[in-house]
Amino acid sequence: MFAKEKTVMEENRVRLICKRTVVSTKPVEQGRLYRFSVFDHVMEPNHIRFVYYYQSSKTREPGEITKKLRESLAYTLNCYPIVTGRLVKETDGTEENRWKVKSNDAGVRMIEARATGTVEEWRRSVNREEELKLVHWEDMYHLPYYWSTFYVQVTEFESGGLAIGLSCTHLLADPVCAMMFIRTWADLTLTRNMMTPPIFHSLPPRRFSSHKLSNNQLLSHYIKYCSLTAPPLNITEDHMVTITLLFPDPMVQSGENEAGLTAFEILSGLFCVCVSRAKGKRNELTDMSLCLDVRKLLRLDQSYFGNCMVYHKVHYSKPVKAIDRLLLLSYVVQEIHNVTKGLLDYHAVMDLVEWLGSNNNNPISNGSDLVCTNLENMGNPRPMMFEEDLMLSHLSCYVEGPVAGGGQVIVLPSSSGDGPMSRVVMVSLPQREMVKVLEDELLQSFSPVLLWRLQNKKINKD
Amino acid sequence: AKHLTMSPPKMPDLSTSTKHKYVKLGYQYLVNNFLTLLLIPILAYTALELFRMGPEEILNHLNSLNFNLLHILCSSFLIIFVSTVYFMSKPRTIYLVDYSCFKPPVTCRVPFATFMEHSRLNLIDSPKSVEFQMRILERSGLGEETCLPPAIHYIPPTPTMDAARSEAELVIFTAMDDLFKKTGLKPKDIDILIVNCSLFSPTPSLSAMIINKYKLRSNIKSLNLSGMGCSASLISVDVARDLLQVHPNSNAVIVSTEIITPNYYQGKERAMLLPNCLFRMGAAAILLSNRRSDRWRAKYKLCHLVRTHRGAEDKSYYCVYQQEDDESHVGINLNKDLMAIAGEALKSNITTIGPLVLPASEQLLFLTSLIGRKIFNAKWKPYIPDFKMAFEHFCIHAGGRAVIDELQKNLQLSAEHVEASRMTLHRFGNTSSSSLWYELSYIEAKGKMKRGDRVWQIAFGSGFKCNSAVWKSNRTIKTPTEGPWSDCIDRYPVFIPEVVKL
Repeated sequence: MFAKEKTVMEENRVRLICKRTVVSTKPVEQGRLYRFSVFDHVMEPNHIRFVYYYQSSKTREPGEITKKLRESLAYTLNCYPIVTGRLVKETDGTEENRWKVKSNDAGVRMIEARATGTVEEWRRSVNREEELKLVHWEDMYHLPYYWSTFYVQVTEFESGGLAIGLSCTHLLADPVCAMMFIRTWADLTLTRNMMTPPIFHSLPPRRFSSHKLSNNQLLSHYIKYCSLTAPPLNITEDHMVTITLLFPDPMVQSGENEAGLTAFEILSGLFCVCVSRAKGKRNELTDMSLCLDVRKLLRLDQSYFGNCMVYHKVHYSKPVKAIDRLLLLSYVVQEIHNVTKGLLDYHAVMDLVEWLGSNNNNPISNGSDLVCTNLENMGNPRPMMFEEDLMLSHLSCYVEGPVAGGGQVIVLPSSSGDGPMSRVVMVSLPQREMVKVLEDELLQSFSPVLLWRLQNKKINKD
Repeated sequence: AKHLTMSPPKMPDLSTSTKHKYVKLGYQYLVNNFLTLLLIPILAYTALELFRMGPEEILNHLNSLNFNLLHILCSSFLIIFVSTVYFMSKPRTIYLVDYSCFKPPVTCRVPFATFMEHSRLNLIDSPKSVEFQMRILERSGLGEETCLPPAIHYIPPTPTMDAARSEAELVIFTAMDDLFKKTGLKPKDIDILIVNCSLFSPTPSLSAMIINKYKLRSNIKSLNLSGMGCSASLISVDVARDLLQVHPNSNAVIVSTEIITPNYYQGKERAMLLPNCLFRMGAAAILLSNRRSDRWRAKYKLCHLVRTHRGAEDKSYYCVYQQEDDESHVGINLNKDLMAIAGEALKSNITTIGPLVLPASEQLLFLTSLIGRKIFNAKWKPYIPDFKMAFEHFCIHAGGRAVIDELQKNLQLSAEHVEASRMTLHRFGNTSSSSLWYELSYIEAKGKMKRGDRVWQIAFGSGFKCNSAVWKSNRTIKTPTEGPWSDCIDRYPVFIPEVVKL
């Protein structure tokens, strides 16, 4: 049975229909140049890819929904002159040789495709490589002025359902504003109203007088990791695989009853513990960085368009002993909580902004750390719907580049059908570690549902 | 590329120019109203004589002429006979009831940056050709809102026959639906249907496509003109006019369009890349009628239509030539002396239309200058008649910025006269045969069309042809008008720089 599924997987199920450029419906004001913030510059070599899966209860003519989405995308782009512009490097006197966006009205690339089967069948049998066929991406051309920074792919499933892929360079956007872009587009398609238009501006200056922290862990992390050059060897050797797990109720399972903990903290702690064991570390925990959105900290609206997520390493204050794993989990979760609630504060971030602006020209790399990204609140307050009958069934997120570190755990909201406390986690690890993590009893005690099959490996749990 | 050397006209001394103006005005008034001026003294003399004679003397004079019944009857019959022959042989007046232009959907918009990017991606091995296209686009006079059909937006473009038919259906049916709405015309009432589309001619024809879609009558007189270039709209009007002379109490629908999809040149020859930069999606549907009942609601009356064909000369024939390039890509080759040939064709056309429309004063001056040059001194400057006296509005085919500049210079028109053409080129690009109707729509949208205004439409086309039509406005058109300009007319006129830096 498995062999037959394997051949189905290998068939070319995604058929490209065309590639074109979608432009805004109104011409842009020519000649405007947008500068990037220090957070943008530091993320330059990476790119993001999202895939949104929608199931439909209505049958449609092939191409009908694609046409409608293309038109609404054109209207959406009226609010995103940065997205339809192109990268230029201009010496400006003060800022030499850094990227800027020239808003020249060139548009975004859109790819239209068809896939066989239904969304459910696809999700059951596909792996990372296949999924990436649903979201087109092109690395920067030799002439960046003709290179689109955003790519949108709409794939209609012949037997029902839709997949929308969005990829973009990390220089322009972080996962939060990329998801907000989809939200704005969905709102416009559904209600013909733009409810959360993006806001573009530079990072606000420091609010109170300068207050350099003596022990700014966030800053030290960046200072160390911005000068990392080549990725450590063990990453390139071992093949990375990605799986998706659905956790129905991590808070309850963990037994944690301390107020103020979030599902993200618990899940990150869980994976830290499991990955440490998978790596064979007996008395220590794996290096871990948290990728957190600091818009609220900086008093920015969620519609702020641009990078606003920082990487904060988790430090273990006490030496670790491999005893009761639940206690270990509790300890790690506490350390994570210390970061999110204590160490990561306004001044730490502003010190970082100042340092990045004056001393740093290098992008950040996360080395071989495990990177846990918090996107669990992006499903609020309402789901991202393009049409009344299209239900968002699943969301995949990939971040590629030096910030991907040695492994990724991305915590995403779950579709409303699974309960408000459920979370979907996309885990990317080297293959050997992934197998061990999935067999870990601690992980299994959280009753995760494996939404995908692991590539080339038989998994007992389903 | 056509070079434009527009040196500003020399400003003569102000006092002499004012004197010249008054002399000219006096001369024009004298010559144009010559007959009236002659008639007044005669009438005055006759009236005086009659008053002097008194009624009895008049009656005596009449009696002496010895009229009897036979004389009176014969004279009456003669008068009635002559009037009948006159009215029967007078050509029927052709009325333009209304027309509608296709407004492209905003999602088909092609900004300069997107056009250049696609050009670069599709012609990845020919950077010089891409550079050439960029230079053309910078100086083209087009704006950022012109539209290309969906098939051309693909990378690489996919000009299939299906896509061409879709474009044809989109532009033609939209224009026709709009025409039906504006005029209240029922599809079953169309007597004559003429479609002109130069470069796309499928089987069944586009006119058959329309007949199929709208379920037109089986005895409709339908015609499909293809291959006749950008002046084909006026050719269609000419054919409609002739048909409407033969068929009383009829109407004719003309559809003018150019389908871009199958003709997008995919090679790299520079002379053949030019049309890609300029041609854009557009269509117009026009309703003509010879019914007297349409006299009141029609917008225009057709006064004259002059067609000039220079195809007998090889130079003119080959100047716009469709051919295959070295890589077997089909495209339209534009010759370098296109402007010169256009100028010649225009002169030919003017020579024919001048006597029909110019007031007597201008014709006399032109005749004098012609005779003078022939007999006395060939070096005398040829007198260019002032067409501004014959027309209030000009619609010059928006073939490209160079065409408009050339005609503005040749006919000595002001910037306001060519505004309609320039703004149409900016907003819609070169829509080929339908561009004249977009320009007319612009003039109406600006509220400049008053009753009695005369419009001169000039179109050039491959062959080489120069066709012109003269319309007289039947009523004042009130703004705001419904049409392709309705949402953007307030932004116009815009200043169009010589070169737009890309």
